[in-house]
Amino acid sequence: MKKVFLLSLVLLLTGCNITVLDPKSETASEQAFLITFSFWIMMIVVVTVFILFARFVWKYRYTNSRKHILPKDVKGNIKLEITWIIIPVLLLIILAVPTLAITYDQSPEWTKESEDAGIEIDVTGKQFNWLFRHRNGKEEMDKLVIPEGESIILNLRSEDVIHSFWVPELGGKVDVMPGKELTYEIKHPQRGTYQGKCAEYCGLGHTDMTFQVEVVSTQAYAQYLHQ
Amino acid sequence: MKLSVFGYELVIPTDIIAAWVSVILIGIVAGYIIIKKRKLGVVWDYMKTTNHRKIGILYLLFGIIYFFRAGVDALLIRTQLAVPNNDFWVFQGEKYNELFTTHGTLMIFFVAMPLLLGLMNIAVPLQIGAKDLAFPFLNSLGFWLFFAGSLFFNIAFFLNLTPEVGWTGYAPLSRAEFTPGAGTEFYVFGLQISGLGTIFTALNLIVTIIRHRAPGMSYTRMPLFAWASLITSFLILIAFTVLAIALYLLMFDRLFGTGFFSGDEGDPVFWQHLFWIFGHPEVYILALPAFGIFSDIISTFSKKRIFGYGTMVASIVLIGFLGFMVWVHHMFTVGLGPVVNTFFAITTMAIAIPTGIKVFNWLFTMRGGVIHFTTPMLFALGFIPSFVIGGVTGVMLSLSAADFQFHDTHFVVAHFHYVIIASTILGVFAGLYYWYPKITGYMLDEKLGKWHFWTFLIGYHITFFPMHITGLEGMPRRVYTYSEADGIFILNAISTVGAFLMGISMLFVIWNVYKTHKKKKKVSGDPWDGRTLEWTVSSPAPEHTFEPMPVIHSMDAYWYAKVKNKPLPATTNVRVKPLERDSIQPFCIAMSLFIVSTGLTFRWYWLAILGGVMLFALLILRSITDEREDFYGKSDDHA
Repeated sequence: MKKVFLLSLVLLLTGCNITVLDPKSETASEQAFLITFSFWIMMIVVVTVFILFARFVWKYRYTNSRKHILPKDVKGNIKLEITWIIIPVLLLIILAVPTLAITYDQSPEWTKESEDAGIEIDVTGKQFNWLFRHRNGKEEMDKLVIPEGESIILNLRSEDVIHSFWVPELGGKVDVMPGKELTYEIKHPQRGTYQGKCAEYCGLGHTDMTFQVEVVSTQAYAQYLHQ
Repeated sequence: MKLSVFGYELVIPTDIIAAWVSVILIGIVAGYIIIKKRKLGVVWDYMKTTNHRKIGILYLLFGIIYFFRAGVDALLIRTQLAVPNNDFWVFQGEKYNELFTTHGTLMIFFVAMPLLLGLMNIAVPLQIGAKDLAFPFLNSLGFWLFFAGSLFFNIAFFLNLTPEVGWTGYAPLSRAEFTPGAGTEFYVFGLQISGLGTIFTALNLIVTIIRHRAPGMSYTRMPLFAWASLITSFLILIAFTVLAIALYLLMFDRLFGTGFFSGDEGDPVFWQHLFWIFGHPEVYILALPAFGIFSDIISTFSKKRIFGYGTMVASIVLIGFLGFMVWVHHMFTVGLGPVVNTFFAITTMAIAIPTGIKVFNWLFTMRGGVIHFTTPMLFALGFIPSFVIGGVTGVMLSLSAADFQFHDTHFVVAHFHYVIIASTILGVFAGLYYWYPKITGYMLDEKLGKWHFWTFLIGYHITFFPMHITGLEGMPRRVYTYSEADGIFILNAISTVGAFLMGISMLFVIWNVYKTHKKKKKVSGDPWDGRTLEWTVSSPAPEHTFEPMPVIHSMDAYWYAKVKNKPLPATTNVRVKPLERDSIQPFCIAMSLFIVSTGLTFRWYWLAILGGVMLFALLILRSITDEREDFYGKSDDHA
């Protein structure tokens, strides 16, 4: 069990090729930072518990020489108990600060006029396809083309059940709800081709509800719009 | 497979045929054994019983049966996911969706719940010195309602009508326009009936723990499992009521075309709120009793009293309370806005604090003790590091912006399997090995128990650890396949191997039970050198316990009496015991609800009305007969 844990720790250290931890946009970078940051803070907890656990189990195990020992009663220790209240509280406060900052910035919202200027794209999810509609009215099914380096503002809406829009390299999920429009922003995507998918179970064809994302240069995007 | 019956062409999927064949074969074997060994009387006896230990056994029996069924579902899921672009049997698309729906629903409602309620039913009265649960009739009714609901849900599969909306049943997918088949009705009514039973049992446990403790057994002397059961029962009372309301509204949406969860007035997000206001406390309903079991076991086998009893109780209460304030962390991506998301991120993080207190108190209970590595203790020891891994990923998930990435991926699958298996499943196993002598009078084989423990624990980590990484690689939940280009083949293959190792570990349990009951070696009332009151009664626990009633002067009173080598003081001046009268009525009441549900599911309203009439007739019959008459004599003064 511990071997598995250490092995994957090594994997995580060297494993910057894990999709989510190898972000291709500013939005995804902030999220990846939060994930790695919290991972290391949490490793403090894991390591502490594992060391105490291993030590106590080994040291106080039943052996023939300890057969007749009647352990002393310990009712508790108020100082120790306060210690393991205070330290976790401190760790959580450290975690909470960046979480609040990033969450405030990134949380998807029911449509309000976005103050940020950016490329607006309407996204419609329906069982089991994605329709992307650009500002000049150009539409394409299951393929999203966006320019690199810009702010991409997605207005998402579903025609039937709840779906969830997800491109792991570019950012987290945002649900696609029937009856109301949600706005989500992807900041500064990098050039490349990525796979997007539906992350909320939506019925029979859920697995196949994927789409392609192409992040291209600004000129190429302008060309694409007029194709 | 195509069949032609009376000129009709019937298409029956092969998995359904396999299920029918195996159930009929098992039925024939079981029926043969029961008749040959002349045990029909025992079956009848258990159908009428109101004794807490026997009802507990029924809960455990069916919990374990469903555990095997849901476990087979899990193995089928893992087989389909073993290699990229797999085409295993029928389990792609619809059938795969049915698989994960059944696996989740069964494991939560029909495995974890009855196993825990079974252990509470058996152990709580014995631990606090109660002679039975406060309302034996209601206890029996609670079980049979659970049974009727679980039977109803399970039958769907044999009719090829399995629900496919996921165990969360999100609207609007669960509304009739998107899942028009009868499958979702099986989900709605199955959960509704069994949930009602669960609420009754929770009420029963609350009253029992508050009113029927032994003299001197104050709240500050109560074993932690009893404490956990008390708090859990309050959680059930609130959470399952919310679930009942949600299911009720969904039923109206489906059957009668109301618009609670869609349209202009309704909103699918209402379902998510209701479901998770139930669903998150449910997680603690599953975890708290297990915490209680581990507390008792760690203390018993370290030969030391629990470290920091006061903070242990306080943290149970606090976890239960905070459990109701975090439900939106399942809904960070719904778009409730930054203020809501941050608020619920903070409350979620806060739960880590009382949970952390418990972990350290368990560790410090072992410190300075003499740790005996019995099977129940091994499960408790396996729990601590495993649960901590699941706990820290829980904190990571609570960071709402990070959760945008984690949400609905295999990372979440890994997280909740880590916490639920570590707490509930290991806890139930620990409890079963620990109280098996009290339940049956026999002790399970220790050597096989250890084999079970190690294979299960190793299999569990091999299965779920890689899922953290597949999730971060971008594998969503509830997809039946992935491509080679996703680069997650090896990790998925490892998970599948682990799942089969867990499957194999369960064979040790079957073998162990068989061997134990073949050997028939009776044990004493106190085989583990226990600390609490259940070890003062003989094994198995008799129908009439605590005569005379012990008087309690400290926590772990039995242990300190043994240390001082003095018997526990006793008294005969006690509260009247709850009256037990065998009755088949609970079974009939539950079955009449089963009939109502069948009628509503298939829109055979005459059948639903028939079931309803039956139900009311039974309720009237119950309220005009006084079962206490032949005990107290006919009189009005006790009314």
